[in-house]
Amino acid sequence: MSGISDKTTDALGASLDLRLLRHNVTSANVANAETPGYKAKQVDFEEALSRALDHEGLGKMHTSADEHFLMGQGAVSRARADVYDNPDVNVTNDGNTVDMEKELATLADNSILYKAALQLINKKLGAMRYAVTEGGR
Amino acid sequence: MDFTTAMRISSSGLSAQRTRMNTISSNIANVNTTKTPEGGPYRRKDVVFEAMPDARNFGELVTSSPSADMQRVQVSDVTVDRKAPMLKYEPDHPDANEEGYVAYPNINLMEEMANMIQATRSYEANVSAMQATKDMALGAIEIGR
Repeated sequence: MSGISDKTTDALGASLDLRLLRHNVTSANVANAETPGYKAKQVDFEEALSRALDHEGLGKMHTSADEHFLMGQGAVSRARADVYDNPDVNVTNDGNTVDMEKELATLADNSILYKAALQLINKKLGAMRYAVTEGGR
Repeated sequence: MDFTTAMRISSSGLSAQRTRMNTISSNIANVNTTKTPEGGPYRRKDVVFEAMPDARNFGELVTSSPSADMQRVQVSDVTVDRKAPMLKYEPDHPDANEEGYVAYPNINLMEEMANMIQATRSYEANVSAMQATKDMALGAIEIGR
């Protein structure tokens, strides 16, 4: 937390970054839907982000490396996503594990939530602008 | 990692499916072709897709090992079908052999049509992925307006 951004803005910013990662990975899955032997990838970050949110600014701990536990200042911005081969799939004859419908659903779902986070950030900034411009009158 | 990554990956999917569409068109157009520059009847072509680590350029591919999480697709090879041609008895045909048989390409039109529909669907899926990328990026540049 520093300057004009607070915990909410930090969390929304981090979720935008992680949703962009998920979008990129899902786009790669769609592009490789018919590549023999390609394994569909999945991105997990919700749990890491919510854990980081719980611990943000707690305990006055200082961490100096990305690998440290998500504690203290800036825990949210250091939350990392986990990218792994999707285990919940059917393997086709050519060893490809992409489920096109599932990927397109993830893509739509993710981009809606991305836009929702954008709107929330804009609302936050709007409130701040209101305070700045109208507060002194 | 940014929006251009998703754009690049989706466009690799688009061009791979377009290449596939081109070979399918070629197969359908040449369904009765009995003479080719290589000799003999036309042989059915098919594309082979390959996943490639995503990198902006060749330099990036060599210097930094790109993440295997996001891979684009590329056409690694166009294979030529090895099935034996279909022989039809047409003694008057200029390409007939001594026994009067003409070698026609062994192409199943239904199979080509099915492949064509599949290629179209994959192309459309990549288009919607790209559309989603564009919407998100356009939203992101509006932050704070």
